[in-house]
Amino acid sequence: MSQTLEAYLALSAILFAVGTFGFLARRNAIAMLMSIELMLNAVNLSIVAFGAFIPSLNGDAAVIALMVMAVAAAEATVGLAIVIAIYRNRRTPLVDEYHQMSE
Amino acid sequence: MGETLVTLLLVLPIAGFALTALVGRRLGTRAWVIAVPIVVVTWLAAMVVVYTSLSGGFGEEGLHFTHYEWIPAGDFRVPFSLAVDNLTAVLLIVVTTVGMLVHVYSIGYMAHDAGRWRFFAYLNLFMFSMLLLVLAANFLLLFAAWELVGLSSYLLIGFWYPRQSATIAAKKAFLVNRVGDVGMALGIMAVWTTVGTLQFDEVFTLLPEHFHAGEIAPWMMAGIALLLFCGAVGKSAQFPLHVWLPDAMEGPTPVSALIHAATMVNAGVYFVARANPIFSLAPEAMFVVAVIGIFTAILAASIALTQKDIKRVLAYSTLSQLGYMFAALGVGAYVAAIFHLMTHGFFKGLLFLGSGSVIHAVHEEQDMDKMGGLWRKIPITHATMLIGALAIAGIPPLSGFFSKDEVLGGIFEQGFYVIWIIGAFVAFLTAFYMFRLMGKTFYGPSHVDPAVEPKVHESSRWMTIPLILLAIPSIFLGMTLGLPFGSGLIDTWLEPIFEQAQENLGMAAPGAFEFLGIDGVLILASVALAAIGVAVAMRLFGFHWPLRRTDTAPQPERVAALTQRAPALYRASFNKWWFDDLNHVLFVVVGGRIANGLWWFDRAIVDGTVNGVGDVVQGAGRDLRKIQTGRVQNYALGIAFALIIVAVYFVLVVAS
Amino acid sequence: MTLPTTIPLLGWSWNDLLFLVLGSVLIGTALMVVLGRNIIRSGLWLIFCFATLAGLYALLGNPLVAAAQVLVYMGAIAVLILFAIMLTQTKGGPAALVFHHQAWAAAIAAVVLGGLLAIVVSVSGWPLVGPFMATSTNLVAELIFGDYLLAFEIVGVLLLAAVIGGVYLAKRDDGPPEPEA
Repeated sequence: MSQTLEAYLALSAILFAVGTFGFLARRNAIAMLMSIELMLNAVNLSIVAFGAFIPSLNGDAAVIALMVMAVAAAEATVGLAIVIAIYRNRRTPLVDEYHQMSE
Repeated sequence: MGETLVTLLLVLPIAGFALTALVGRRLGTRAWVIAVPIVVVTWLAAMVVVYTSLSGGFGEEGLHFTHYEWIPAGDFRVPFSLAVDNLTAVLLIVVTTVGMLVHVYSIGYMAHDAGRWRFFAYLNLFMFSMLLLVLAANFLLLFAAWELVGLSSYLLIGFWYPRQSATIAAKKAFLVNRVGDVGMALGIMAVWTTVGTLQFDEVFTLLPEHFHAGEIAPWMMAGIALLLFCGAVGKSAQFPLHVWLPDAMEGPTPVSALIHAATMVNAGVYFVARANPIFSLAPEAMFVVAVIGIFTAILAASIALTQKDIKRVLAYSTLSQLGYMFAALGVGAYVAAIFHLMTHGFFKGLLFLGSGSVIHAVHEEQDMDKMGGLWRKIPITHATMLIGALAIAGIPPLSGFFSKDEVLGGIFEQGFYVIWIIGAFVAFLTAFYMFRLMGKTFYGPSHVDPAVEPKVHESSRWMTIPLILLAIPSIFLGMTLGLPFGSGLIDTWLEPIFEQAQENLGMAAPGAFEFLGIDGVLILASVALAAIGVAVAMRLFGFHWPLRRTDTAPQPERVAALTQRAPALYRASFNKWWFDDLNHVLFVVVGGRIANGLWWFDRAIVDGTVNGVGDVVQGAGRDLRKIQTGRVQNYALGIAFALIIVAVYFVLVVAS
Repeated sequence: MTLPTTIPLLGWSWNDLLFLVLGSVLIGTALMVVLGRNIIRSGLWLIFCFATLAGLYALLGNPLVAAAQVLVYMGAIAVLILFAIMLTQTKGGPAALVFHHQAWAAAIAAVVLGGLLAIVVSVSGWPLVGPFMATSTNLVAELIFGDYLLAFEIVGVLLLAAVIGGVYLAKRDDGPPEPEA
């Protein structure tokens, strides 16, 4: 019964929502990045679920999922490097303080 | 030949103006050497033209010619064209003769004034304007001259500009005139839209044609006539635009004589007479003219009874006589009106110049309470003024009697009995206040300021000779032109011009004069009224009988007693029936409040709206700027919300 | 001894139970990541979350992806994150405010978004759904090195670029080189 596509997709949606909340609400830059990882993972989960339940997408889904993982890794690398660089400058990881581009 | 002379009539004065304006100051006391001879030559030329016209030399239609196309603007074409017919000729007599004599008089009057070069320049300008006015052959040219005359009047009234009352009076004259001119301009426009031309001869044939063909409604005709009449009301100072004339006495006396007695104020009468084809097609309009005329006559006469300033009395007298002329025009007695215009020009000019001589003699004092007993000291002035006073009172055989009688006779003949009664009463009042003026000025004990008294002297010859020269027509003009009654020279000259109008009004040709019939009765009536008026005034204000060498002493106590009996009327008369105050309240006070209100509206609402828009935009910008926080998460939240909205929209609206 | 085909008392299949457990743990740990005050703890909860996900992948019949999840996410990314946390710690510590002012709006947005997605997913029919099919690794290998070879290579280049970029960005700035003594 719970081995249905809808169930996995709903689960993925909830995970995505949690990740969104974290991204929008946390002050720490690293926490934001962690939330981004959560969101990416939620998407990954939904892709793999599609691969399992839709025959025509069987192999492709796995490939896509692996690609997503790779890209997520690259993105996490660069993002964290940036945060570290900014931290060196501002001495704080809190994004509140990064408002040089405001009025 | 005729054309050259007529053109000369215009060219000479304007050249005089230009030359005097350019070099006048350097001429010092001789500032008149350009202006006065020019006017004399103009007079000569005018006399030739007049003689030619009145003896039929220009044919029935008169002299007509065009110099050039003044305004060629597509359909709207206005040539600079001049015309001389008998009506113009009669006006020319008055304008040039009185004008010339006033110029000569001014040599003496302005002898001590530093600005005399300006004065002569303006006088020449005025002559040009007035001549252009009577010579113009189309409405627009006449209107241009109309305004020029107003300008000259403004310049001359405000001649002593350091005096504030003078500048105010000049402004008032111009503004009040302007009010009338609005109506006149509208009337001229109406004429153009109706017949498509402004030339007098064309308009006066086309309009009746259109009217009789039923293309122009009667109310339209009356409307045009009344609009044109507005201009005349302003220029000739009829009620309710009469308020400027008394104040115009701020100008030097020659100005008052020329402009406000003999010439400019006659422009309105001339204009209505010239436009008689229009008026005669609108009997209602003519009735309005007559009513306004006679109302002004009695209004002004009532005010003249109590005024203390000698020139003001004469000013109100002018208003009153002008009212007579309009009353005559309004009932269709055109010839009578023009006849009165002629005689009035001469004897009023005489009276004004004489008063100028008096004022000069008592060293610029104009209050009659401070005069008296002057007949001994200024005999020539006194004699000529007495002639003028008799003329205006209508005592035969002087000129005023003939013209005034034609006016009153004409009114009676047309059946306007009420107007006749008022007119007769005005004649009585006229005689009365004129001899009141004479009494207070010349007779009785002297109330002259003791310091001034020894210096009272007769004026120079420059001033007295014009007085004498004006006295001659005042005596003889009536007799020469007005006899026999109803078919004198003046009738011969002018009747052809007004024939059309007489026809339109359905007026029967005046019957033969019946001396023993109704006409004789009317004459007796008017003479009797005049005589009574003179007698009463003599009793109250004093008189010196030249032949009997006795005096009638003035009775100030009787005067005071009479005044006590009607204090309200006295006050009303003395305060000019409070018209100036009414105008002040209506236009200055109320108008000022309205203007202030509108100014508030402009400031608060119009500017407020404009500024408000700017403020709104600024405020919106300021508040919207707050969205740009520079913080990524704020932007991301915005994206999230937008995403939700789009998704909901998609789900609910599109996909269902 | 073999497991009974269904859970004894409830009559569910074992897969269902596994799914339920893994699912709730997933959400729970994710919430701990997001709501946690101490950021190091959040990082550790993140690792737990990734582990749960690996389990779910396995449940979906995809052991390759599960393995990759463990290796890449848990083994590399999470560690990287923990390093970064260590490097950017402030003295302020847990005393500082965890959430923005806009946390409430964010919560609403998140809830609405999640709910919307979940509802849409459940309501819409999935016409292409077939029976459950596990993914064979052979198949994936053939696809990666066959149809998707270019993509695979590009991802490699991308990773190279990321590494170089990361190294460069995070390098300590030593200032202009000193002149050789």
